[in-house]
Amino acid sequence: MPTIEVDYRDFLSLLGVDLPKDAEALDDVLSYVKGEVKLFRDDELHIELQDTNRPDLWCVEGLARALKGFLGLEKGLKSYVVVGDSGVEVTVDVRLREIRPYIACAVVRGIKVTDIMIREVMRLQDKMDQTYGRQRRRTSIGLYDFDLVTPPLRYGVAKPREVKFVPLEFEEELTLEEILEKHPKGVEYGHLVQPHPVWPIFIDSSDRVLSFPPIINSNDLGRITERTKNILIEVTGTSFETVLNTLMNVTLALADRGGSIHSAKIHYRYGEMGDVVTPRLETRSLTLDVNYVRRVLGLDLRLLEVKEMLERARYGVLGVDGSKVEVEVPCYRIDVMHPIDVVEDIAIAYDYNRIEPRWPKLPTVGSKAPQCILRDAVREVMVGLGFQEVLSFTLSNPENLYTKMNLNPEPENLVEIENPRIQYLTCLRNWLLPSLMEFLSRNVHVEYPQRVFEVGYCVVRDERAENMTRDVEKLACVTIHSNANFTEAKAVLDALLTNLSVRYKVEETEHNSFISGRTGRITTEGTDIGVIGEVHPQVLENWRLGNPAAAFEIDLEKVRRLL
Amino acid sequence: MSELREHERKTLLTLRSLGGRASVDEVAEKGNLAHAAVMRAALVLEESGLIKVSEERRTRVRLNDEGRLYAEEGLPERRLVQALKEMGGEAPIGSAGEAAGLSRELLAIALGWISRKGWAAVDRKERVLRMPIEPPTGADERLLALLKREGTLTVEELDEELQNAFKLLKGRKILHVEEETVRELELTDEGWRLVEKGIEAVEEVSQLTPVLIATGRWREVRLRRYNIKAPVAKVWPGKKHPYLRFLDELRERLVALGFKEMTGPIVELSFFNCDALYMPQNHPAREVHDMYFIKEPVYGSLKPYEEVLKNVKETHEDGWRTGSKGWGYRFSTLEASRLMLRSQTTALSARTLLSRDLEIPGKYFAIARCYRPDVVDRTHLTEFNQVEGIVLGEELTLRDLLGILERFAVEIAEADKVRFRPGYFPFTEPSVELHAYKEGCGWLEFGGAGIFRPEVTLPLGVDVPVLAWGLGVDRIFMMKAGIDDIRYLFTQDLEWLRAKGVV
Repeated sequence: MPTIEVDYRDFLSLLGVDLPKDAEALDDVLSYVKGEVKLFRDDELHIELQDTNRPDLWCVEGLARALKGFLGLEKGLKSYVVVGDSGVEVTVDVRLREIRPYIACAVVRGIKVTDIMIREVMRLQDKMDQTYGRQRRRTSIGLYDFDLVTPPLRYGVAKPREVKFVPLEFEEELTLEEILEKHPKGVEYGHLVQPHPVWPIFIDSSDRVLSFPPIINSNDLGRITERTKNILIEVTGTSFETVLNTLMNVTLALADRGGSIHSAKIHYRYGEMGDVVTPRLETRSLTLDVNYVRRVLGLDLRLLEVKEMLERARYGVLGVDGSKVEVEVPCYRIDVMHPIDVVEDIAIAYDYNRIEPRWPKLPTVGSKAPQCILRDAVREVMVGLGFQEVLSFTLSNPENLYTKMNLNPEPENLVEIENPRIQYLTCLRNWLLPSLMEFLSRNVHVEYPQRVFEVGYCVVRDERAENMTRDVEKLACVTIHSNANFTEAKAVLDALLTNLSVRYKVEETEHNSFISGRTGRITTEGTDIGVIGEVHPQVLENWRLGNPAAAFEIDLEKVRRLL
Repeated sequence: MSELREHERKTLLTLRSLGGRASVDEVAEKGNLAHAAVMRAALVLEESGLIKVSEERRTRVRLNDEGRLYAEEGLPERRLVQALKEMGGEAPIGSAGEAAGLSRELLAIALGWISRKGWAAVDRKERVLRMPIEPPTGADERLLALLKREGTLTVEELDEELQNAFKLLKGRKILHVEEETVRELELTDEGWRLVEKGIEAVEEVSQLTPVLIATGRWREVRLRRYNIKAPVAKVWPGKKHPYLRFLDELRERLVALGFKEMTGPIVELSFFNCDALYMPQNHPAREVHDMYFIKEPVYGSLKPYEEVLKNVKETHEDGWRTGSKGWGYRFSTLEASRLMLRSQTTALSARTLLSRDLEIPGKYFAIARCYRPDVVDRTHLTEFNQVEGIVLGEELTLRDLLGILERFAVEIAEADKVRFRPGYFPFTEPSVELHAYKEGCGWLEFGGAGIFRPEVTLPLGVDVPVLAWGLGVDRIFMMKAGIDDIRYLFTQDLEWLRAKGVV
């Protein structure tokens, strides 16, 4: 979820209306665009936006554009037209195909540049680069003082030491290689170009460097100041569609500040791509059936109401034919994939809280999952036997599962995480007792005796399953105090299994987590269902436990099959 | 007056036989009772006004080792004058000391006391002792003899002369002195009345035993009254985990509302966790910081789902037959088979929609463990429970979804008011957020919901509206249990679990 930072005064001036200076009241307004105030101090306003598919809202201009509709200040489609050709032509070097193939440009003329506006545009640029542009990997934006640039322009390549220019915020000329070493942006984004032998460069006809995409602009041409009147926007990237969308968002934001839009011509030589004129601001049309709207929302909306809501949501209405409405979708609404997206906007414009909730009367019969029956029975008996239920993570680590349990690690029996986030949670547990031992180790100063149990899932590998694993629900319990012994654990096991009507045997076995000669396999009808024993003193020592303990663990899936 | 217990009765009777006044020791000895039992009885009896208890401080004195030596052989100064007498009343100091058998140190002591008591003159110049008459036996010597005979004496019981002698001997460090408090019991008038009226000593038992019951002897004994207000040792009951008990109750409520429980695997195919939910494969939420992937094996098998996989793939690419334009990218089947830890319960809804047993109309829910690579802190867990579900049926609308949410808010969160806000989930449209208001807690985001997108339902072969909902149960539990740290849901604090009430 992106969080955008805007200047409250700028926001109001774009909106053209006063809003209460109160976070809660602002939340009510922002809910129309699925936004929420995260911080509101002086004029600094941070807004979290939920919709990850609406980059048009990630700037103050876009927010104001959408809210004007919902607040009834400006309704219907806002049209953006390319008023003319800027005369800018860009030739694209074919060698960029494997590096950063796409570029698109636009020129916005006649903008009143102010301090606040520069800051807000920088924020937009940064937000787009970071989120939609995936840290500039997918797209990055460059802005230039158009009056300083001499077209035609070249989007070409240069060797790391071939070209020199003064990067933004610097005073000396640096080669591209030096920029990667010395400039903070070079350090941050250098990895995007480093693997390539030649790097992207954006140059004008007098061989002056505009920028080194996607790293840094020139301090001479690529800096917007209060003297700037006309702005050249450039977007480069690895996906043409994303490049076009990004260019569109920046162009519209500047147009919303009073600029007029002029196009540029890009000459590609990639074979399947020829000349392209950008920006692309065409609207789309979509047919919406009012009956569909009624059916989804459960509201008996009249056609006029639907039309009103569409316009509040800033759609255009091109025509009506019976129950069908021809909707004009603004160019920036790239999230609209299906008529259902438009239906939601109608509902939002109508206001969710005006819709009367209704409990659906459906003839259904509820039921718990079949696993619950045994699980609940086991828990009931264990609680009755005086054991405290505990709840632990199913994530664990090999040291807890093996080393501390006096066992040799068996990575081939473990389901490990490729990208663990927490050092001690790197795999799924494949047995339950270590979770309980860990629990006990955290409670050595708490009054004994301690008797705890857990019913929980363990995960084991299973090549036959579609997900290559199997979840196994298990029960483990442990009793620990100065007199804890095998007999006590076996008495508990007997009480449990007898109450579950499971006939079982305990046969001698060896298990390194338990004391030899005090360890048993729990079997039923010839199948092992678990293990019981007095915990090995080495294990107790490993967990820093100072009292004897006895425990058992059984596989509830196997018990379930017997019932 | 409350009934007397056995020890109390015995104490009263013994006290009477001792003339109505005696010390605790005397009563204990005479009555064959433990000292402590008499003390306890005395406290109760005094409270009932039957006896008066007075306390007296006693100084008990006996001879120490040196004192015993003096008592055997006489005080050094007596031994010296004795020798002097035998030497005719006058003798040089050295020979007198020798005759008395005194060591140098004792001789010095003897000389000091002789001059202090004025028994003889000491001519230091000529080093000669002169004794006019044999000095009589002093009080200190009498006390010494008395102590030798009696062993221990009580200072307060001695006459004044001997008490002074005691001070003198104490100063000579030949006595062992102990201070003690002696409690004396005395029957009051009321106590006398009671013992004269007659009370009998019945055997009293503290524990009713099987033998007492079997023999019927319980009729003859008296079962001792207990101090039922006394504190007792703590015992800890076996209990369910408070969070699991809460989830159990939630499960019961959902079943009562007609929902069927869904289950599914922890290790999930990306297909069900993401692709079938119309999350594009290049979606930021599908990157490593939002999902846990499995190291080995990396991929699962999509063999059982070939047909539906094709539908989903085409839906992502160009919308297939859903009326959508799709995401417009090349879908990777391999990526869809990538194994991960379930990151949202919605994966179970996708599986249910595909299931052959799917009922229409139907209501389903799941309570399932989910995993996300978050750092654990007060508000985040890397492993947590989600409660989610779906409701599907021919005629269902957004109004019905709001109705379901409202009912949940009232019945599960016991909310006073609810409000709805537009929300966003990649798999639902329209999407809703549910906010519940509870007195004292304010507005709380309590759940998210929506209607599954056609791009989700149609490829899975479902062509009726599917309302999907999820509840923020962790928050509700924390609110109810009064905890403000989410880590307590998986607490390893046994004391907290033991102390946590069950309601």
